[in-house]
Amino acid sequence: MNDLTCDIGYKSINHVGEQLCGDHVEVVEQEDGSTVIVLADGLGSGVKASILSTLTSKIISTMLAAGLSIEECVETIAATLPVCSVRGVAYSTFTIIRLIRNQTAELIQYDNPQVIVLRNGENWEYPRTETTIGGKQIFRSLIRLQEDDVFIAMSDGCPHAGIGMAYNFGWKREDIIKFMEAMSLCGYTAKNLSTLLVDECNKLYGGEPGDDATSCVVRVRRRVPMNMLFGPPSNRDDGDRMMSLFFAKEGKHIICGGTTSSIAAKWLNKPLRASLDFTGDIPPIAYLEGVDLVTEGVITVNRVVEYAKDYIGENKHYEDWSFGKDGASLISRLLFEEATDINFYVGKAINPAHQNPDLPINFNIKMNLVQELSEALKKMGKRIKVSYF
Amino acid sequence: MKVTVCIGSSCHIKGSRAVVEQLQDLIAKENLNDKIELGGTFCMGKCQQGVCVTVDGEFHSVSPETVSSFFEKEIKEKV
Repeated sequence: MNDLTCDIGYKSINHVGEQLCGDHVEVVEQEDGSTVIVLADGLGSGVKASILSTLTSKIISTMLAAGLSIEECVETIAATLPVCSVRGVAYSTFTIIRLIRNQTAELIQYDNPQVIVLRNGENWEYPRTETTIGGKQIFRSLIRLQEDDVFIAMSDGCPHAGIGMAYNFGWKREDIIKFMEAMSLCGYTAKNLSTLLVDECNKLYGGEPGDDATSCVVRVRRRVPMNMLFGPPSNRDDGDRMMSLFFAKEGKHIICGGTTSSIAAKWLNKPLRASLDFTGDIPPIAYLEGVDLVTEGVITVNRVVEYAKDYIGENKHYEDWSFGKDGASLISRLLFEEATDINFYVGKAINPAHQNPDLPINFNIKMNLVQELSEALKKMGKRIKVSYF
Repeated sequence: MKVTVCIGSSCHIKGSRAVVEQLQDLIAKENLNDKIELGGTFCMGKCQQGVCVTVDGEFHSVSPETVSSFFEKEIKEKV
């Protein structure tokens, strides 16, 4: 094992007027630390395409994860998929990216646009081997991973974007590469890179996509630890223990909560300076030497949870937290973009002032916030450890 | 003179932002910028009486509605 990790994110837009997407992305993690990602594009659009692509990606990811060969997967799909009554074929194209112990990527591609690989921010035409399985022409590649490698898998809805509207022949591969090269090393997450690509497609389609368009991005990066302190300990005497454990950890340190940051300030013997810069409706942040970010507690974290839930779903609000200067945006950038391993130090003290029924904050809400946040971060592929005090 | 406003969770919900902004306005209007240092702090431990404001260490309970009278009585007269 090395200290690399893969950040995986994807987004789809649907054919105009369709409620279901005919593309499907499936990510399965294996026990040995390998990951199988399948992007399948079903024939046509709507329900039928959705069924075809879901079946294809589920079958392939499950079979590969169980150690079966790609030949068996393809045969199974050919024998299992329902045959389209209009066209007389069972058909779904697919791209497989298999990440083996964060060291090697195996690409298996069937009829989707060729996966783009950006190495050090530039397009790299990697070697491919052609094989024929069950009459299907399949390209395979083995790539040794390097830090900052970016893999971009797409359904054909992406290069077809803008046909007859913005462009005569759609959004050409070279142009997609140029578009992505410019952004690949700016620190955008895989999810945001895929969102930027698909949103651009949507623009080229004039907001009315003529096909389902999906992109799935894998970004190879180094592990980055981060620590977040939230709430004072339930037993006052545990303060010192909590602080020494928290500050002993490698990586950046975030502290949320007024009382909590006062305890930290006392422990560090440094002054806590609160700013009065109100940006948006989130309380201002504060400054404390030795701590990377100090914010207010419940209101700020509540907003972070909202951003996190949106991020793993439709990702509509990334522009808010990507550039915002308020506490919630700052925490979101640190946790979603920068961190890969997050340690939460959660104090279970009950603030008597918060138990007022007129206030929308109380102890249960606080504990729920931690739960929801760590769930969402896990879905982003991060390793989470929560310790209660 | 040092005026400190709590910007913790409770006081935030009770309107500390409005209090800070009104105080900033009033101080600017009275040209007291060089005499008054307006600052923020996290929880003062008296959330029930928020919005918590201290003037040279002396505690006051203020709300967005009472800012101007508080300013006249506790800040303008004493500065």
